[in-house]
Amino acid sequence: MYDVTKPEHDVAQAETKISARGVQVYYGDTHAIKDVDVDIADKTVTSFIGPSGCGKSTFLRCINRMNDTIDICRVKGDIRIDGQDIHAPSVDPVQLRAKVGMVFQKPNPFPKSIYDNVAYGPKIHGMTRNKAELDEVVEAALRGAGLWDEVKDRLDTPGTGLSGGQQQRLCIARAVATQPEVLLMDEPCSALDPIATALIEDLIDGLKKQFSVVIVTHSMQQAARISQKTAFFHLGNLVEYGDTDMIFTNPQDERTENYITGRTG
Amino acid sequence: MTDATTDKFDWAAPTFQAGLRKRKRNQWWLKSLGLGAISIAFAMLLLLIGSLISTGYYAFTQTHLEIEVELDPGLIRADAPERGNYRQILTNTMQSLFPDVPDNRAELRKLTSILSNGAQFTIRDMVVADPGLIGETVSVTVPVSDPYDQLNKGLIDPDTPEQNRRLTNDEIANFNRLAEAGMLSEPLNWGLITNADSRFPELAGLKGAIIGSAYALLVCFMLAFPVGIGAAIYLEEFAPRNRLSDLIEININNLAAVPSVVFGLLGLAVFIGWFGMPRSVPFVGGLTLALMTLPTIIIATRAALKAVPPSIREAALGVGASKQQVVFGHVLPLAMPGILTGTIIGLAQALGETAPLLLIGMNAFITSAPATPFDSATALPTQIFIWADSPERGFVSRTSAAILVLLTFLITMNAIAIFLRHKFERKW
Repeated sequence: MYDVTKPEHDVAQAETKISARGVQVYYGDTHAIKDVDVDIADKTVTSFIGPSGCGKSTFLRCINRMNDTIDICRVKGDIRIDGQDIHAPSVDPVQLRAKVGMVFQKPNPFPKSIYDNVAYGPKIHGMTRNKAELDEVVEAALRGAGLWDEVKDRLDTPGTGLSGGQQQRLCIARAVATQPEVLLMDEPCSALDPIATALIEDLIDGLKKQFSVVIVTHSMQQAARISQKTAFFHLGNLVEYGDTDMIFTNPQDERTENYITGRTG
Repeated sequence: MTDATTDKFDWAAPTFQAGLRKRKRNQWWLKSLGLGAISIAFAMLLLLIGSLISTGYYAFTQTHLEIEVELDPGLIRADAPERGNYRQILTNTMQSLFPDVPDNRAELRKLTSILSNGAQFTIRDMVVADPGLIGETVSVTVPVSDPYDQLNKGLIDPDTPEQNRRLTNDEIANFNRLAEAGMLSEPLNWGLITNADSRFPELAGLKGAIIGSAYALLVCFMLAFPVGIGAAIYLEEFAPRNRLSDLIEININNLAAVPSVVFGLLGLAVFIGWFGMPRSVPFVGGLTLALMTLPTIIIATRAALKAVPPSIREAALGVGASKQQVVFGHVLPLAMPGILTGTIIGLAQALGETAPLLLIGMNAFITSAPATPFDSATALPTQIFIWADSPERGFVSRTSAAILVLLTFLITMNAIAIFLRHKFERKW
């Protein structure tokens, strides 16, 4: 029944940031996520891998309650960030999403200027008192996303005019601008070329110093390159979760082995 | 990889070539049919516009007569110039132009009837504005009455038997004398848009109808636009999906298909019957048209909201925007071009709508332009309806001219819709 296998060396290398227990997700009649338990460490990159439709993106979207916006989707179970139940009535999903930033599969900048794209989050949350502070926040976020030098002279041009890789980094800057504690990335490189992908991967490596980064990826090489922890999902079950090295070199479960060796998936 | 020994498909086989030819022929037929359909539609349009212009262009000019009028102080009292006997003054003027015409009432009346009935009021207004003119002789240019206008435009054939004509030989002869004396002119008929309606075609204009239509559309817009957008936003973005919202959606779609005359009856029963609002006023017209335009705007707005890519909503939700911030900050601005286009198309439809306005009495005969939306007025389509119903020959061309004016307004509104769509369209 319990597919979660926890290697022993997985214990308390880093502080646990997100802790999920018995998470179930239903899309209408479909049981999309089945009883997932996972602890995600702080200041670590955790990757979710698995074949298409295995529920890894769905689980990711549970963490910032994005699934709430889908009418037919129901989430059960207990998810805590820093020990705080995110489904507690006292938690406002809107505020939660500012604290748990998200980057999507396809770059989706607003059809506004580069500056306004980054400034939007801080503005709606009233995080700055004046324009000068906002300028600083925008600059810091763009620097954090490694985009500052490329766009500092054209902050007022539309964000949609950037290249795909730049747009994705702009989306990262936008997510970083609200000073989140967790950054969720849903296949952030799947629409990008290898050079842009390498830039983003470098960026993720830097970002993990500040946040807990959770990334869904289809590329096992990417998971191996950038993550310290890897979770393998299969048909809505979390099959195996542990150190990335262990998962890729010495998988405990047959399904994991089949997947990473290319026999299934 | 391919095995050379297996049966290879023969691209040159006659059966395949025949199939290819058939495919090409089908495509050619489809293209020809499409072109044919477009040509027919275009020819119909040309025919419509052509026939309107060929009958309507007569109404864009109006025959005028320039006369020297002696403002006899014996017929106008200086202390009450508005009560002078201007009809007699005009009779005297005409008599002086035709000294050989016998001095009896019937003959004199024939002479005076060359002038439009409005001529005496033109002169009266001049004198009231400047009483110092009394006793002077002034030169005025006044419209001639409808039969003579028709004669001048060649619409009355002098070769038809006299009893079948609206003008007798004597009358034509009299008029021709004026023409030979060079007293006639045929300037652009600004009266068509600066005058209100009149019993006399040469004086009738569209001012009342244009202002009436403008007021009605304004009321319609101010009601239907905010209510329509509000309803659409609620239904599309906030309302839970259940039986009730499905029912509402079906009913809105049905309302859009309800014949406009039914909305007219509703307006008559509710606004005039229950609420006791006055008849024939643009305000009630606008309310009734708003009922009709509302479903159109709601449907267009919902379609525009739906067309905004979900990635934009996710992006905004992802940085912690509330539902309301997502809708008003991102979705609505992106949907605006579609909403505006839909609204203007809806208003253009309302501008051309006749039946509901007939039912609330906006086809009354009203000879002054409305000063407020609460004054009796007609609207452009109902004015066309009234004129098309009038027996005077002059209204035939005026009806066509009024249709052309209405079409001009419609084309302008559609052009504005296209302009706005291009201006606000943004890529994402």
